[in-house]
Amino acid sequence: MKARIDFHIHSCLSPCASLEMSPRTLVACAKAAGLDCIALTDHSCVENLPAFHDACAEAGMNCLYGLEVSTAEEVHVLCLFDDLDSALTFGRIVYSHLPNLMNDPARFGEQPIVTADEEVVGFAEKLLINGTDLSFFDLVPMALEAGALCIPAHIDRPMCGAISHLGFLPDLPYDAVGAVGEVDPEIARRWPVVRFSDAHHPSQIARRYTEIETEAFTVPALREAFQRLIEK
Amino acid sequence: MKASELKFPGLECIRPSEPEISGGYTSDLLSDVMANLKEGDALITIQAHKNTIAVAALMGASAVIFCHGRVVSPDVLEAAAKENISVFVSTGNQFNTTCAFAKALGE
Repeated sequence: MKARIDFHIHSCLSPCASLEMSPRTLVACAKAAGLDCIALTDHSCVENLPAFHDACAEAGMNCLYGLEVSTAEEVHVLCLFDDLDSALTFGRIVYSHLPNLMNDPARFGEQPIVTADEEVVGFAEKLLINGTDLSFFDLVPMALEAGALCIPAHIDRPMCGAISHLGFLPDLPYDAVGAVGEVDPEIARRWPVVRFSDAHHPSQIARRYTEIETEAFTVPALREAFQRLIEK
Repeated sequence: MKASELKFPGLECIRPSEPEISGGYTSDLLSDVMANLKEGDALITIQAHKNTIAVAALMGASAVIFCHGRVVSPDVLEAAAKENISVFVSTGNQFNTTCAFAKALGE
């Protein structure tokens, strides 16, 4: 089947995202935008994934469970799972690698943990936009071993992209690379290039998406589907 | 040193503020800034965006100097005004700016 996917969306848990981004709202916006499968990818925290799971089930939306990890070099990497428990286990390990610097909501924004019914049940304490102490070179194999799809995010952006912070894209077995603009043809021949919204506000959902041909929305099926995107 | 006293070629103060500048820290990695900047320092960086001000304020920085003549957007200046942080733009790179800054500070 042909499918439109957007695997880079933040919820209200990310301090830089709008508080309007409750799981239910973002799922409704994704549905209205005609997306077939979405992923929630908050900064280094997975605590809104259970609510996202419920909101997707309620709306009949296909989904992946993810997070956007900031490495020690402050390179952003998407790690996407097809089951909630693996995502929660992996995500909590990532959170433990954040420095013990607490969020200052007045400066960075609130980090609410919510239910599908938009009830606030707590707040993530550590500042989520901080870099973890996991190096890019350690995180990629760690995510793959945990069963995730591993995708460096917005590699072509001047902030928090692999190329700007590492100088070049290291030759590692990513499942795809995320881009905002045009990418070097050499990169496009080596890895599938995907475009996702990186939405922090409801209006941004699906501002970029990728169309794929896939059998299912599982990690192995998507891995295969991504391979078909490689430019010959 | 007061923000108004900090002068070297290529440096322009676009938002002066009261707090004294007592030292400096040069870094483009904000997690590193959060771990190491000292109160009263001027942060010398090319990261010209709003988060930089939030990070600098959290650590008690008195000023931020954006290198390479980076364009500073109004939301950065607004955040700096709220946090009482001076904002400078330097045409030099991080190295030149740090050297000139250290000289001006008498270090």
